[in-house]
Amino acid sequence: MPDPVTQIIQLVTSTYFLEIVLFPGLTSIAILGAFFTWFERKLTARVQLRIGPLYSSPVGGILQGFADIIKLLFKELIIPEGADRFFFIMSPVTALIIGAALLGLIPFAPGIQIANVEVGLPAFLAIVTLSPTLVLLAGWSANSKFPFIGGLRALFQQTAYEIPLWLSALGVVMITGTLSLTGIVQYQQNNGWLIIPQALGAVLFIVTSTAEMERLPFDLPEAESEIMMGWQAEYPGPLFMLVQGPAFIKLYAFAALFSTLYLGGYLGPALIPPIVWFFAKTIVIIVAIMLFRSTFPRVRLDQLLRQGWTTLLTLSIVNIVIAYLIVVGVPAI
Amino acid sequence: MVSQGIPEETGYILFLFAATLALVITLRLVISPRDPKPTPEKRAPFESGQIATGPGRTRFIIQYYPYILMFVVYDVIAMFLFAWALDLRALGASGTIPVLTFMVVALVPLAYALHLAGQRENW
Repeated sequence: MPDPVTQIIQLVTSTYFLEIVLFPGLTSIAILGAFFTWFERKLTARVQLRIGPLYSSPVGGILQGFADIIKLLFKELIIPEGADRFFFIMSPVTALIIGAALLGLIPFAPGIQIANVEVGLPAFLAIVTLSPTLVLLAGWSANSKFPFIGGLRALFQQTAYEIPLWLSALGVVMITGTLSLTGIVQYQQNNGWLIIPQALGAVLFIVTSTAEMERLPFDLPEAESEIMMGWQAEYPGPLFMLVQGPAFIKLYAFAALFSTLYLGGYLGPALIPPIVWFFAKTIVIIVAIMLFRSTFPRVRLDQLLRQGWTTLLTLSIVNIVIAYLIVVGVPAI
Repeated sequence: MVSQGIPEETGYILFLFAATLALVITLRLVISPRDPKPTPEKRAPFESGQIATGPGRTRFIIQYYPYILMFVVYDVIAMFLFAWALDLRALGASGTIPVLTFMVVALVPLAYALHLAGQRENW
């Protein structure tokens, strides 16, 4: 039995610890979150024929995200009058932990995965389900009207997209017969990418996950032009950083999940290392989701609820039928 | 990858713990060293530049109540389908008939509930 100090040294120097701290863990999440902040602003600017961030580094303002983090960290922390202090601070912090927990489940390359759990896909979707509740708590605790309206909108929005999101992922589970994300990638190694049999499911998944991330055209809880950033309205500088961070981490995590489920994850011709394939696919999905923001106008809440419960739900049931026919075959009548 | 014989679950809990710890330390560093001077104007709730009136947590009409009720029922039903989907190859066509019956039984009330939810007087 080695003494505790040796055990701790072994733990700190182990590959596993480095995975948690460096890549794909916390440090890389923070750096990529700051990078995507810049990337989205630059991309949106280019789409709208503007210049975008320019001054914070020699190369097209690429350090803008880090500059924003430093600026926000040095702002005064103001808790609004009558706010519930505990929930007001707890909600963004928990949201950030949720974002990090999502990325722990993704297989980035063979062997590079923090938690290879048997039920990776439902675990991912179950963890992400918590975030609208946190939005509601944040909106309620601020003791202000715009945040409260935003929180309630998040709750209603969840009822619209949640079931189609789970059902579109169900198609993948039916075909692969496993809930493990590594297992899903291994299935695709032998049988080809799942985006071909599950094209409808992939479209549904990307639409519903955009709604889950609360990004345009489904950014109802934080609609700037309607309810002044909604549930984020009362957050002061440092906490606003913690509010904005999870949005980009969730974008990264959902794009990674999409490429794992439908685009074969880290699979690709062996000329390029698997991790590069993974990030190439993920960044393509991220760009697609960012282009939604520049392309589509915001939907109304009643439109989203109606379409979520009629069109999206019907299409996801059609997708289940397609997956069933692929697995079992057309019954001989 | 587990190189030191640590079980995956323990590692994942450690990961969450490290994330929490990093955040708490960051927050602590951010919050503590400055000298905040909150004034009533700074702490007033945001109301588009007006002086805030009334309580912040007012009561709202729950406009889309039927959708919330449907969600409570059908979200659970959607979870049940995962158990069936996982063993679909083994179950084959014969094992699907109970699930199909279940889905029809579940979807007929859903259609009726959607019909009711579409009518404005039920909000």
